[in-house]
Amino acid sequence: MRTATATLSPPEAEPPVAVAAAQRDRALFVNFFTRELTTRYLGSVTGLAWALIHPLALLAVYHFVFTTVFRAGNFEGKSFLLFVAVALWPWLAAQEALVRATVSLAGYASLIRKVAFPHEIVVYASVGAALALQFAGYIVVLIALRAFGEPVHFEGLLIAAPLWIVLAIAVTGVSLLLSALQVFIRDVEHVLVPLLMIAMYLTPILYPLTLVPEGMRPWVAANPFGWLVGRLRDALIDGRIALQWSDAVALCVALALFFGGRWVFARLSPHFEDFL
Amino acid sequence: MTAPLLKVDDVGKDYAKVEERGGRVRLVLDLLAGRGAARVFRALDGVSFELRRGESLGVIGENGAGKSTLLKIVAGVIEPTRGSVAVGGRVGALLELGSGFHPEYTGLANIDLAAALLGLTPREIDAKRDEIIAFADIGEHIHDPIKHYSSGMVVRLGFAIATALAPDVLVTDEVLAVGDESFQKKCIAWMERYLADGGTLLLCSHGMYHVQKLCTEALWLRDGCVERYGNAADVTQAYLAFHEEKSARARDPVAASVAAAAGIYAIQSLELSPAAGIAQGQDLRLSGEVYSPDGRAPNVLVGIVRADGTPIYGVATDMDGVAPHRIATDRYAFALTLPHMDLLPGKYIVRAHALDPEGVRLFDNVERTFVVTGATREMGLVRLAHRWNDPRSTTDGDAGPR
Repeated sequence: MRTATATLSPPEAEPPVAVAAAQRDRALFVNFFTRELTTRYLGSVTGLAWALIHPLALLAVYHFVFTTVFRAGNFEGKSFLLFVAVALWPWLAAQEALVRATVSLAGYASLIRKVAFPHEIVVYASVGAALALQFAGYIVVLIALRAFGEPVHFEGLLIAAPLWIVLAIAVTGVSLLLSALQVFIRDVEHVLVPLLMIAMYLTPILYPLTLVPEGMRPWVAANPFGWLVGRLRDALIDGRIALQWSDAVALCVALALFFGGRWVFARLSPHFEDFL
Repeated sequence: MTAPLLKVDDVGKDYAKVEERGGRVRLVLDLLAGRGAARVFRALDGVSFELRRGESLGVIGENGAGKSTLLKIVAGVIEPTRGSVAVGGRVGALLELGSGFHPEYTGLANIDLAAALLGLTPREIDAKRDEIIAFADIGEHIHDPIKHYSSGMVVRLGFAIATALAPDVLVTDEVLAVGDESFQKKCIAWMERYLADGGTLLLCSHGMYHVQKLCTEALWLRDGCVERYGNAADVTQAYLAFHEEKSARARDPVAASVAAAAGIYAIQSLELSPAAGIAQGQDLRLSGEVYSPDGRAPNVLVGIVRADGTPIYGVATDMDGVAPHRIATDRYAFALTLPHMDLLPGKYIVRAHALDPEGVRLFDNVERTFVVTGATREMGLVRLAHRWNDPRSTTDGDAGPR
């Protein structure tokens, strides 16, 4: 039914068909995105404040756990708190985006069953809202760490911010895949959370790769998220902002995930109406 | 001749049938491989029609005939499995109560959402918002989430939005069945004005009254296929006749030879003229023969019932003091004319019964169906003589009932 949706255009302006469709899709994304932000995150009693308090509270807990309980104050001359915070936030962001996006289509079931629109916009809005808020929290945490005297290299954001975009592309691709599968196979949602938990401990987030026994290190190092974490630490803790070849590879992997997920989504989305 | 605004060409839709849990995994794999589902339910097949600007089409049919599926395909909500749909304008769809509302959004937020779905800019929707709120007329509830609305309020808002956005084609289903009397009137009035202004309507309804009132054409869907497509009056009448016939129980007339052998009075033949049926108000002639086992003149009772068995009129020879005409020792003939028969269009049955000469015992009966055709929206079974008078005139003595 692309013909019908594509020819929807305001009567007075009559812009080219593709432009009108793109304009509409953008308006829809903005609508869904702001709705996700306001209802899911900012709609609570404490509102925007909570969005700032939450990362800071988490940071305080990590500080307590790592420096007071584990007494891992320093590691290889780096602050362990900073070492963990820089890596953990992107992970939590990805995890939240994946979990929310996987079930996002069900929340729009009444629309999908009755209105013609590209269903992927729901996933984009869901992932976008989760990542945007988590990235804002990441910045807040970095500022807070610096305020407490941690050696944060802010120029590292020149690399860190694009890395978040690469992460967003990859997460969007996986989200498209999972959300489409979830419509047909309800188990996806239940399997996802424990799987992510296992994956987190297999990724060098709470520990450095150098602590992993020699024989197992290639396996752990092969984890693409481990690569991302390493690059973020290089940039924000050590201030190394030179581009690497691996950055291009990562972008290609992320794009492959995105288009792969999109392909699956496109195959399955015509049948959502019947299964939601 | 203008190009059709909406062209539905040989459209079919299959729904995947999945029974057990493993079937869903299999279905996903089938869909990813581009094979299509292995087990399907054929909801629609080979549906074609065209709608030009200013035309209105009513889609009728029983529950599960594929009406909603067809409307969803036209609205672009689902893709047809086969065939194609081409739309040359903006489609406004109002499907299954409140087209595409988000239950968590307030009424106002849903207005903005609907506008975004249609690709309107915020400025365009600002101009329409007050008009929509006024038409919906749901007061302060416009600030509440839709999930707290009654079904009537949802329909009010949905109709207000769908209409304010001035669609080229308005696609709607049973919305007219919900909402209170005054809102229904408002909707009908709006639709009539919309049609008068050259709007195009695709309506799905169980109410033949609405279809006949609002639509020029009708499409009767039966088990996903087009049973009949054409003039709204013809199609709705055929549809009603089908239902009347369906609800009538089958009556097998006693075979003439069996009746003769059993020594009972029996109708031997019954002919209608014209045979197939009449136009409303035409004469209908019946003729036939009756077998009499003892040679005495039997009585003949002729009755007319609607196809579902509702009696309309019956009269016997002895009531009118006539007798069948003897044509052989054991055979009698009868003929009856019903002049200017003003039955309303539909399917009817003529029944001829053989009675004994005393007019007491009723033996067998023979049935013939016939169709009355005509274009009218009058209701009931039969047109009664009537006259509309000028209520301002006091001299008309015929105004009151006699």
